[in-house]
Amino acid sequence: MKSVVTTVIAAADAAGRFPSTSDLESVQGSIQRASARLEAAEKLAANLDNVAKEAYDACIKKYPYLNNAGEANSNDTFKAKCARDVKHYMRLIQYCLVVGGTGPLDEWGIAGGREVYRALNLPTAPYVEALSFARNRGCTPRDMSAQALTEYNALLDYAINSLS
Amino acid sequence: MLDAFSRAVVSADASTSCVSDINALKKFVAEGNRRLDAVNAIASNASCMVSDAVAGMICENQGLIQAGGNCYPNRRMAACLRDAEIVLRYVAYALLAGDASVLDDRCLNGLKETYAALGVPTSSTVRAVQIMKAQAAAHIKDQPSEALAGARLRKMGSIVTEDRCASLVSEAGSYFDRVISALS
Repeated sequence: MKSVVTTVIAAADAAGRFPSTSDLESVQGSIQRASARLEAAEKLAANLDNVAKEAYDACIKKYPYLNNAGEANSNDTFKAKCARDVKHYMRLIQYCLVVGGTGPLDEWGIAGGREVYRALNLPTAPYVEALSFARNRGCTPRDMSAQALTEYNALLDYAINSLS
Repeated sequence: MLDAFSRAVVSADASTSCVSDINALKKFVAEGNRRLDAVNAIASNASCMVSDAVAGMICENQGLIQAGGNCYPNRRMAACLRDAEIVLRYVAYALLAGDASVLDDRCLNGLKETYAALGVPTSSTVRAVQIMKAQAAAHIKDQPSEALAGARLRKMGSIVTEDRCASLVSEAGSYFDRVISALS
């Protein structure tokens, strides 16, 4: 899993040297930013169900055609799956906040996503709407501190860009 | 390769739940500078630690440097010093990452079989690793033994905490123990 620490170690290992001062400084930089990320991760974990539910509701509200017969949100099974997918993205974003990089989203969310959605004939626009809603829903200081919200929003933007 | 953070993520993903134990990671972050100092203490004293560990191993078993021994001639002694440095380097990486996966994947995987095929004696290797474990503890605590180091005594001189980084000493010790159990 790619993170600042693993990248630094991989580079040092490729050169066959002990971690140098500059390696340690890179890690220190990552650690200094970590408290904001961990705050966002903690808050998101505590409210994951609500955040995902609101995002899901928002995308169905914007694309009501999804409720029509034969569409992706037309029965209870499909609705549960749609809600689960949104929650899945939010969980991966929480992982990214913990790791401090986009590794979990890249490896478990984005890789192969296009092929899956095409094979299942799912539209990506509603996912974009759900994530955009979450992107604009976060508010400081009500939800988390400004720096934490910046980290959180950056990851939502990353996920949105990967889908659009 | 994983670090403490990605390890938490991978184990949370196994149950498709969020990472819930944020407090352990916050502790990791709060003690980050200690960890970097500990890694620096090992990296800065690496060549001394390696040569002393190998010299200590040979002192206790002179047969190693006599004809037919595994540290005779110089070519094999050099290979021994190189291997000790490699082990110490991966322990330093593991300590930096806060997770043993880099040590397991890149160093210990197949090491026992390689040494068996090359005829490297396990007991001597383990002894050298044990000496490095004691040295690493001394350097992380910044309490090298004055009696044993003699004129070569070397201290990091950094500000040490009350508990002398006991948690990092035991964590580094656990990585050395991992090497020992992988070899034996």
